[in-house]
Amino acid sequence: MDIPVSLAIVALAGLIHASFQLSVSVLTLLSGHTIGSKRSNAKLLRLTTSFVIGAGVMTVLLLSSTSFVMLSLYGTDTPQVVWAAVCGLLIGDAISIWLFYYRREKGTTLWIPRGVAAYLTERTKSTKISAEAFGLGLSSVIGEAFFIVAPIIISALTLVQLPAVWQMVGIVIYTVISMMSLVVVWAMIGSGHTLGRIQKWREANKYFLQFAAGSGLLVLVFFVYVYEILGSTVVGGI
Amino acid sequence: MDLAVDIIKRGGKRQSERFNRAKLHASIVAACLSVRTPEGHAESTAAAVCDKVIEWLQQHPEVTSQDIRIVTTRHLKIYHPEAAYLYEQHRITI
Repeated sequence: MDIPVSLAIVALAGLIHASFQLSVSVLTLLSGHTIGSKRSNAKLLRLTTSFVIGAGVMTVLLLSSTSFVMLSLYGTDTPQVVWAAVCGLLIGDAISIWLFYYRREKGTTLWIPRGVAAYLTERTKSTKISAEAFGLGLSSVIGEAFFIVAPIIISALTLVQLPAVWQMVGIVIYTVISMMSLVVVWAMIGSGHTLGRIQKWREANKYFLQFAAGSGLLVLVFFVYVYEILGSTVVGGI
Repeated sequence: MDLAVDIIKRGGKRQSERFNRAKLHASIVAACLSVRTPEGHAESTAAAVCDKVIEWLQQHPEVTSQDIRIVTTRHLKIYHPEAAYLYEQHRITI
């Protein structure tokens, strides 16, 4: 796989990651509690910035560690059977996102374990310092690990085939793109938009985001399957 | 002012507690402030909504915290629809 194609796959995987909403939900709640408890705008900015940095750091750590595991297991030349298995995982993930990502009820309740949701909700209430907000950012990425595992694995498998410098570039591309939705909400909160407007938009468009994430994964699996499995089979046959 | 009304907590797992006007008032003020309402407006809205909720509670000696939330949202919608939306969404955001 050449470098531009690999980076395009990583970028698409990052975009799919960006459509997942747990971190955005937690950021919305954190901002609500901070503004509601009469803390200053500077404090709000410090907490939300720490949260966003925490989510970014966890994304980098997850992608790097998954890449390391893949590299240790399969080396730089991943066997086709692994690509096929990952394609299967992606299809399963895409279907579960279409079916389950949002619960069929009011609001933006996600299909994550209720214990995790309750824990994150309680933590947002008690978050008062930047270090706690940073930790909350880390946890919010872990909270939806079930959904982000597919784009992370496909990116990791793609990245391990690249030269070291391009692996770094790939990790940066993935992280920056996957953080876009969070950064947009962070900027909106920081610039004085009301949480009501943000939450209303999220609620109104939740099924579109769900559909886009599932469809994006299917496009990604189609491309990877054709390029990695069918492509190499045809080339090998010739 | 605390009414002699028992509030059954969510899911019935935690112990019930007495209705506490200050707690309700603070939660409404927080919702109003979250949508960037001036503090004075938030306080007066919360006071008016608390009065309405207490009026309703006087006919109901035992209610759940979810009942309180629903009734509060209903009255808050009249005074401040955007704050009411956020108040209602609090438990259903994640």
